[in-house]
Amino acid sequence: MSPVLILAAILLPLLGGAFMLAVPLHKRTVRESWVMSVTLCTSALVLLLTAFAPAAGLTLGSIYPGLTFAFRVDGLSRVFLGIVGVLWPIAILYSFEYMSHEHGESRFFAFFTMTYGVVVGIATAGNTFSLYFCYELLTLCTLPLVMHEMDGKARHAGRTYILYSMTGAALAFAAMVFLYHYGTLDFRFGGGLDAALTQGHEDLLRGVFLLGFFGFGVKAAVWPAHVWLPTASVAPTPVSALLHAVAVVNAGVFAILRITYYNFGTGLLRGSFAQWVMMGFCCFTIVFGSAMSWRMQHLKRRLAYSTVSNLSYILLGASVMSEAGLSAALLHMSAHSVFKIILFFCAGAVLCQSGREYVFELPGLGRRMPLTFAAFTVASLGLIGIPPFAGFFSKWAIAEAAVSLDHPLGIVGCAALIVSAFLTGLYQVMVIVPAFFPTKGQSSEVRANEAYTEAGWRMKTAFVLLILLSLAVSFAVTPLAGALSACVG
Amino acid sequence: MYSILLSLAMLVPLLTGILMGLLKNAHSRNILFVEALAATLVFALAAAWVGSGLSAVVDMGLFAFRFGADTVGHLFAILFALLFLCAGVFSLEYNLHDRKQGRFNACFLLTLFAVMGLSYSQNLFTFYFCYECMTLLSMPLVFHEGTDESMKAALTYLGYSLFGAALVLFGFFYTGRFCETTNFVEGGSFNAEGMAHLPLALAAIFCLLLGFACKAGMVPLHQWLPVAHPVAPAPASAILSACITKAGVLGILRTVYYVVGAEALRGTWVQTAMTALALTTVFVGSMLAYKERLLKRRLAWSTVSQVSYVLYGLFQLSPTGFVGGIQQAVFHAVSKTALFLCAGAIIHQTHRTMVHELTGLGKRMPLVFGCFTFASLSLVGIPPFAGFVSKWGLATGGLQVYGSAGALGAAVLLVSAILTAGYLFPITIHGCTEDGDFSRPLEPGWKMLLPLLLLALALLVLGIFTAPLSHLAQQIAVISQEVVPS
Repeated sequence: MSPVLILAAILLPLLGGAFMLAVPLHKRTVRESWVMSVTLCTSALVLLLTAFAPAAGLTLGSIYPGLTFAFRVDGLSRVFLGIVGVLWPIAILYSFEYMSHEHGESRFFAFFTMTYGVVVGIATAGNTFSLYFCYELLTLCTLPLVMHEMDGKARHAGRTYILYSMTGAALAFAAMVFLYHYGTLDFRFGGGLDAALTQGHEDLLRGVFLLGFFGFGVKAAVWPAHVWLPTASVAPTPVSALLHAVAVVNAGVFAILRITYYNFGTGLLRGSFAQWVMMGFCCFTIVFGSAMSWRMQHLKRRLAYSTVSNLSYILLGASVMSEAGLSAALLHMSAHSVFKIILFFCAGAVLCQSGREYVFELPGLGRRMPLTFAAFTVASLGLIGIPPFAGFFSKWAIAEAAVSLDHPLGIVGCAALIVSAFLTGLYQVMVIVPAFFPTKGQSSEVRANEAYTEAGWRMKTAFVLLILLSLAVSFAVTPLAGALSACVG
Repeated sequence: MYSILLSLAMLVPLLTGILMGLLKNAHSRNILFVEALAATLVFALAAAWVGSGLSAVVDMGLFAFRFGADTVGHLFAILFALLFLCAGVFSLEYNLHDRKQGRFNACFLLTLFAVMGLSYSQNLFTFYFCYECMTLLSMPLVFHEGTDESMKAALTYLGYSLFGAALVLFGFFYTGRFCETTNFVEGGSFNAEGMAHLPLALAAIFCLLLGFACKAGMVPLHQWLPVAHPVAPAPASAILSACITKAGVLGILRTVYYVVGAEALRGTWVQTAMTALALTTVFVGSMLAYKERLLKRRLAWSTVSQVSYVLYGLFQLSPTGFVGGIQQAVFHAVSKTALFLCAGAIIHQTHRTMVHELTGLGKRMPLVFGCFTFASLSLVGIPPFAGFVSKWGLATGGLQVYGSAGALGAAVLLVSAILTAGYLFPITIHGCTEDGDFSRPLEPGWKMLLPLLLLALALLVLGIFTAPLSHLAQQIAVISQEVVPS
């Protein structure tokens, strides 16, 4: 298989999106078929790359000795590519219906499509420099999407987003400079530092790793850099769903996985203060995110805080610095992506059909939108981790990995997972139960309003596909976990 | 044959429960409802008759669903099926004019499925799964009335249950490391790694037990009981009180005797702490029941107290206490179902809910008050009614195991028994002696009376012929502890 396909998968959506900026497609049918065909072609390429990863990489040239644009597909790339390749077309299908209620569709789909290319670039980046480049590009590409509404709230969210992202990128840049100086930027499992140069500077490098962790941790919403994520929930729902639950935040997690396992290497970090700091912040973010989520009455913000918490589950798995930890992290990354995108889509469908966005406005709505809330229920059970849903197994694997450290923080990590699972149960079920079973006072108003109906066929199709996908992930969790551990290393 | 019967005992309530939502005709739905409940009981009995052992394993990779039944499983399954049948028949008349009767029937059957699954679970994973199912499926029974108060009560129930489940999960996670297997094996399988990390292992086991004790209504996680029971319809309260709390008891029994093993816990702080909490609960529950004036909440507090008798027996880790505990679990389940159904009959016929409003009602509904008195006598433990032998076993077991501290335990049991008499007997006495309006009989229909009479009869029979049940409990005690009883 030719490595040129990687370039094709990156450039196709980038150029396809840019074309829409240059030549606005005003006619809806034309625009939708254009976007859909570009996305489907890209997904086909991406899934091909996932299935048959080309052994060779692709080097596009360098701007300075050691700073090259290089792309290749390895195990970790395949996991990320698989996730976005499957979810992106479904999200596009959903967006067509959702965005027909909004303005500026042409611009929206242009940037949305371009983002796909950038995310593929992040997934396939062969060294830290390429990763960093795509990472910055991702910030710029998604900014117009966050600010789409262009009202005060959206501009504020955009400002917050750019401020946090740029600060994070600056920290990550500093870490990259040290990496360049003490070894290579190429990704090598086990670390790319030069042993001779590192000698005597271990603690310095561990500190630098933490800089990188917090830098890339901005997109992964590690406390205290999580603030932008709930604020960004003013963006149109497809953005919240695909970008702020799957692609962008997972890009942050992915970058941390890269620098931990492929740049600095677990040998340097295992058992050091850097590992304990990383674990500590992850544990705190897990509980903090869930607790905030429980407090939030705005449904999309509640889900956003839930994402904050769940991203740190993944990072907690990664912070164990073992292959078991990494594969547990990847399992939760896959499971969480599927469940969270469903939850956001449901919130969006409710917003579209009834204009309701607060949790206390939802009682009784489950009767009028049964499919939407059925999807919400399935995804919630998965997220809470009720067996036999995949969430149970992925959290179990993370806890197993954390405890195998035989360190007090491992027990703290396990306890944080449990506390967070309890809170997740509370904040999700408190949405579902009143939606299906309103009390006497609440039910009459919703029941009387005939305008509240199920969404159109495109949203419904997206829901059905995603429910099937989440059931598939849950019941095929053993082969999935096996495949993911094969991707590690 | 055995495997088929066991599967049917779980599948019949599951499938008919789902079907309930689809049937529109109330009459045919109710017939199917009773048939399903009766069929479940028949299958459970037949399965117990035919055999025991592992029946089905569904491998999930990291975990496996293991179903099967041993003596404990059969005992609890038959008990649950019987009580569900009684409460189910009762609910037909109780919910007669309820528009949401279909939903009630569906959730009722699905809850039965969950508790049957619990009885037939053969490892912790399966047990945990059924336990979560039970919480979620029984929740609609609590908020059935649809009032704001009932929704709040249901959310309280959910919150406590999820918290308990989280504790269980934490303990489950560590027992997976500190035991050879989380399958239920007689005598448990605590391993060398557990011995090496003893403080952590004990803390984890404590969490596991405390999590299950939440459903059993033990202090400090008992608060949901007095909130959830009064707002639920009476048949649902009966099930919550008799069966759901016993699911917590079953969880503790399985953990102590089948996962960790009594040997590993004997003499540790976990045993001391759990015993102390159980005794505190026995006392506190009775006191608060004595003070309470709303009939159903009084019964709920009584459940808090009485279920902890069972836990006191189980945590003695001796055959005598164990036998007493099992007997108490069975007796309490039967008598508390009877009491709640009596309360339901009174509410249904008179709409009176406070204890002081019941004056003189006994003469107008003699059969209901007769059953109430039978169940009260049994709960207090007056021979020849059922409760006596179990409490005797619990007290003597405590004396054997704890010595002088056991005397304290016996004293608490005695005080609690006096309080039990103090909060139950006045209801009968005022109901029957004081003047009232006797002009019109208020006795309910046969669908309500039949289960009541059946339960009262069962209490009398169990009290007079104690040998079969105690023999059965002895058997379990011997198997699970591998200690020859004295």
